[in-house]
Amino acid sequence: MPNKLGVGFLLASVALQNLGRREARTLLLLAAVAICSGAIFTGAVLMRSIDSSMAVGFTRLGADMLVVPAGALTNITAALLTAEPTDLTLDDSVLVRLETIKGVQKAAPQLVFRTDASGYRGGASIDVIAFDPMHDFTVQPWLEQHLGRPIRKGDVIVGGRRDEALGAELLLFGWPLIVYGKLGKTGVGTHERALFMTFETFAEMRLTMQQVCGAKAPLEPNRVSGALLQLAPGATTQQVRFAILANFPGVKVVSGESMLTSIRQGLAALLNGALALMAIMFVSSALMLSVLFTAIIAERKRELGLLRAIGMRRRQIVGMLLTEAGLATALGGLVGVALGLLLMRVYEHSLVYYLDRLGIPFVWLNGGTTALIAAFCIVVTSLTGAAGALYPAWRASAQEPYALIRSEG
Amino acid sequence: MTLSCIDLGKTYATERGEIEAVKGIDLEVRSGEFTSIVGRSGSGKSSFLAMIGGLSRPSRGSVHIQDTDIWTLSDNHLADFRNHRIGFVYQFASLLPTLRIVDNVVLPARLDPAQDAETAYRRARELLNQCGLSDCLDAYPSEISSGEQRRAVVARALINKPALLLADEPTSDLDQVTESEIVDWFRSLNRERGLTLIMVTHNLRLAEQTDRVIHISDGRLAA
Repeated sequence: MPNKLGVGFLLASVALQNLGRREARTLLLLAAVAICSGAIFTGAVLMRSIDSSMAVGFTRLGADMLVVPAGALTNITAALLTAEPTDLTLDDSVLVRLETIKGVQKAAPQLVFRTDASGYRGGASIDVIAFDPMHDFTVQPWLEQHLGRPIRKGDVIVGGRRDEALGAELLLFGWPLIVYGKLGKTGVGTHERALFMTFETFAEMRLTMQQVCGAKAPLEPNRVSGALLQLAPGATTQQVRFAILANFPGVKVVSGESMLTSIRQGLAALLNGALALMAIMFVSSALMLSVLFTAIIAERKRELGLLRAIGMRRRQIVGMLLTEAGLATALGGLVGVALGLLLMRVYEHSLVYYLDRLGIPFVWLNGGTTALIAAFCIVVTSLTGAAGALYPAWRASAQEPYALIRSEG
Repeated sequence: MTLSCIDLGKTYATERGEIEAVKGIDLEVRSGEFTSIVGRSGSGKSSFLAMIGGLSRPSRGSVHIQDTDIWTLSDNHLADFRNHRIGFVYQFASLLPTLRIVDNVVLPARLDPAQDAETAYRRARELLNQCGLSDCLDAYPSEISSGEQRRAVVARALINKPALLLADEPTSDLDQVTESEIVDWFRSLNRERGLTLIMVTHNLRLAEQTDRVIHISDGRLAA
């Protein structure tokens, strides 16, 4: 039986035997690739995890600033998670204009309405807070339990000190509402005791609330109690405060804990730096592999010359060397990913533990995404290995067999 | 297989300028002839052998093997030509260190898509038996002696039944007994199978055992 397919297998088997029989060289190559791929894998998974954790953890620390009507009461000791109940309101068009202020990354409007006429629980005082799920960053990050679907019209989220059960129905101003979720305890009274709903739900109930409570400013259409702001990296509270006060007469700007703002911004910058570092590491790995393969191929020139002399074609020489490089680097990539997983276990027992103690949850990436990153790392290291070997392999194969044979091997 | 070369020359470009290693050699080797090429180190005999073996492109002239002007062939066709028609034996241990002896010997046959692996391995075992290496099939080159390695190299050169065998100092570094064994084997291959053999050597005693001795001096055929 002719061995047309066999030549490919032959080249692969020669490549494998080269790796297997040159243990020291193969182990060093594997170690070098494993360190690179492990670092890239661990870095990528940790960065994505830290990014997700920051999204949850640091937004839990509250907004950087709160914009409310000039005479409104504010609780300056608490984290900025919500506006306080007041009859003073702003036009909701303020929100659109706030987002155009330089240095403002996010603006989340809230409308707070305190009432004891809802008919729920025998006339108890309740704070109803309307929020916009698309812009919000101070309510949803605190969700500890919720129904397994997105929030929708007719849903209500209960504060951390409330006792309504998830999925229960409650009647507010005669409107049946479903308890969609429950928040964690925040230490901010209004936030812990309130019932949160979307602006859409609030708008649907507004006329009924007006009929029951009479004409109240928060119940007029298109009004908000205030807006919580998150600043862009590099922006300072002073700059943004001055810009807002200059552009919006009749508002008050309350700043949160400036240290937290700095930490959040610093961490964002650090993550960007880590990303750049990973890119540099990737490029340097590719260069290192290329140098390694240049040395390895130079050492084997005589062997390559002999293979050419007995009839191996140029592309077969290149194919054999690329197979060898691809196999070694893929294996190194696999080892690196395994080492990365071990490293992350150590990380979990140290930094993650301390973050948890500080109340900052560390959200690991899900298994699927982690596996995807692992596969990506292995494929990329393998391709990088092959790419690193391509130029020296091509150059060597281009030499005359006699020149290769005569070279010092 | 008749070999002829016309005005064959080779010039190397070096940092010290151009060096003309072979200066226009005309030669014809008849089919079934056992020829030796002798000359001092640096006389150009190895460069000459590399050109007639399709391993180094001449700077001028041509090489005809049978009816083929080998340096007009494409790189792939020339590789196939070397694989099918020419066997090489070098002055150094030229086995791949990572392959077993039998895998080394079978390698040229396995590069030919027309040959099946089973037949190739059978032939490799036969050749290794003939040269007394039947116990070394699974050994690696580092596990056998230099003489055994050289015999394995000859077996590899013969695996595709070439019509032309080129040997460049095939017995250098070997003891006299092994040297004689290898030359005797060449002689029998030449006589029994009609193999055309060209052997480069600086050993005049070995050269005297061949049909014809060609002297090369300073890149030219000497009188």
